[in-house]
Amino acid sequence: MSAGVSDRMTAAPGQAAPARPRKSTRSVAVRTAVIVVLVAAPPLIFSGYWLFVAAQVLAFGIATLGLEILYGRTGQLSLAHASFMGVGAYTGYVLSQHGYGVPAQLGAVLVVALVTGAIVAVPTLRLSGLRLALVTLAVGELFAWLLTNTTGLTGGTQGAAVAPVVIGSLDSSVPLYAYLIALVPAALATLLAVHLGRTQLGRRMLLVRDSETAARSVGVAIARTKIIAFLLSAVFAGFAGWLYSVVAGFISPADFNLFASVYLFVAVILGGAGSVVGAWLGAAYVVFMPQLFTLMGQPNLYPLIGGAILAVVALLIPDGMVGLARRLLTRAQRRRVTATEVAA
Amino acid sequence: MTATLTPAERPGADDAAPPTIAVTGLSVRYGGFYAIKDLTTALPGGEIVGVIGPNGAGKSTLLNAISGFTPLTEGTITLGERDLGTASTAQRVRAGLVRGFQTVRLMERESVLTNVLVGTQRLPQPDPVSQLFALPRQWRARRRDLAAAMAVLDLLGLGADAERRVDELPFASRRLVEVARVLVSEPSVILLDEPAAGLDRSGRRDLASVLVRVHRDHPSTLVVVEHDVDLVKSLCSHVIALASGALVCSGTPAEVFGDPRVQQAYFGRILDAPA
Ligand SMILES: Nc1ncnc2c1ncn2[C@@H]1O[C@H](COP(=O)(O)OP(=O)(O)OP(=O)(O)O)[C@@H](O)[C@H]1O
Ligand SMILES: [Mg+2]
Repeated sequence: MSAGVSDRMTAAPGQAAPARPRKSTRSVAVRTAVIVVLVAAPPLIFSGYWLFVAAQVLAFGIATLGLEILYGRTGQLSLAHASFMGVGAYTGYVLSQHGYGVPAQLGAVLVVALVTGAIVAVPTLRLSGLRLALVTLAVGELFAWLLTNTTGLTGGTQGAAVAPVVIGSLDSSVPLYAYLIALVPAALATLLAVHLGRTQLGRRMLLVRDSETAARSVGVAIARTKIIAFLLSAVFAGFAGWLYSVVAGFISPADFNLFASVYLFVAVILGGAGSVVGAWLGAAYVVFMPQLFTLMGQPNLYPLIGGAILAVVALLIPDGMVGLARRLLTRAQRRRVTATEVAA
Repeated sequence: MTATLTPAERPGADDAAPPTIAVTGLSVRYGGFYAIKDLTTALPGGEIVGVIGPNGAGKSTLLNAISGFTPLTEGTITLGERDLGTASTAQRVRAGLVRGFQTVRLMERESVLTNVLVGTQRLPQPDPVSQLFALPRQWRARRRDLAAAMAVLDLLGLGADAERRVDELPFASRRLVEVARVLVSEPSVILLDEPAAGLDRSGRRDLASVLVRVHRDHPSTLVVVEHDVDLVKSLCSHVIALASGALVCSGTPAEVFGDPRVQQAYFGRILDAPA
């Protein structure tokens, strides 16, 4: 505050407050172009199997966004997130077995995700950090046990083949169509996650994460905020799981076990907790990396190198890939500024 | 901040005059230690009230008790007609009482603007589902909140820093961000715990003039814990002097600073340790 308040008191009383500085149209255009290229790239580059993998990234991305809301923004560490994907996947599967179409499946996924989300969220309200992680881990195990012991309904450990869905003239067993079908919910989830950041609800979450004391001082209902975050994350995961089942065409309990939950967590951390872009980078990483190692004929190396990468990121770049990019960008900008100043 | 919010948008503002806070027989005990012991005093409604006293006098504890952050061991606190009793912090906030902290509590990695916007929680907000899906309503609330936040940031000279991350700011500015978070909803009772700590001389003077202006535009009971005698004299119309958890004296700044017990308990200490 070396300049002093009054020197910078620009707005005279009664004068309208200046609007929030707007993002320049150019940067919006650049962003839009980048997104269009990224979205259009997979169908142009890939075909067949790899397009399915790209569609899986879209499904995992939605789940990662959900965990980003719960952990990245609200600070609640859940190790049952993949279980909620499983809830969505198996709800859709069971309904499709009974002949219900896509709208009924999606409606059921929403309801079941909300109900199971509430069942986990309400009793764990007072927990946080490691204790919450442990309890949600137990929930995940319970869910896996349920799946393997309801073979008649879910196919048990053998897994279950999920019938392709047909939306309009798009059949999800065709790679390109699977990708296009996945694109719509992925876009909606992304928009919702971005929009959430501009709402009071989204800000409440950040404050609950950073200081419950400050949250109380401005009248934030902490418990309610945590429950809403949990429900939102469960719904994201539920739809993601349903989408995954449709794209992959086959589901088994192993898809939704503790490891899957940990990978989702890795995606959030690697990308940069608290960032929508980060969630997508993280999701792309955790889906593509194992595939790449398999492609190179070294599938066993993935856990090793993947673990090393995670450790490096966690230790050296605490705010993940997005944080790293932001820091490099700021440094470059600063250098540019100093360069022009010297030149002038 | 002139007329940013309509009265209907300010919970607690409709009951005409800012309320008096009456403290009666208040004790706050931590273990076997009384941080406040049998304190009876009043913080007159609509005034700027200074709370002074040496370190450990119980100033922050008094704010904690009033704002519901610490349970009362004994005694009562009333806000206007209303006995605060065991009212939750949320209920007190709804009644128009908002506080800041001696140690700033901010979202370090978020922008200044976001940190101030959370303060609008007290204003009528659309329910969560509407915030997500009833876009026109959400956008209207957002516009109102942004205008209020930018107005208070400009007032505090932080308008240009709105988009910066809090952890990039110097310490003094961070404290002002917290003050902005408190002020943004135009509360009728404002509790600030050493808001000028860490500011330089001119920064302190500027903050005082901003507080005076806020108080003039939006009448409130404004309680400020402060060590700086000159600041208290220029800012406050009523002063409460505490020492060792008890009231030394209270009254106008002239009365309080003229009191020999204050001079001994308070100035003695300050003179011992010039900071
Ligand atoms: N949570 C607590 N647990 C135990 N003791 C406490 C607690 N909070 C405050 N105290 C003690 O109560 C006394 C009064 O503390 P308080 O913070 O109210 O003082 P203060 O007047 O605000 O002092 P300062 O000028 O240093 O901020 C101090 O002796 C402090 O150590
Ligand atoms: Mg204190």
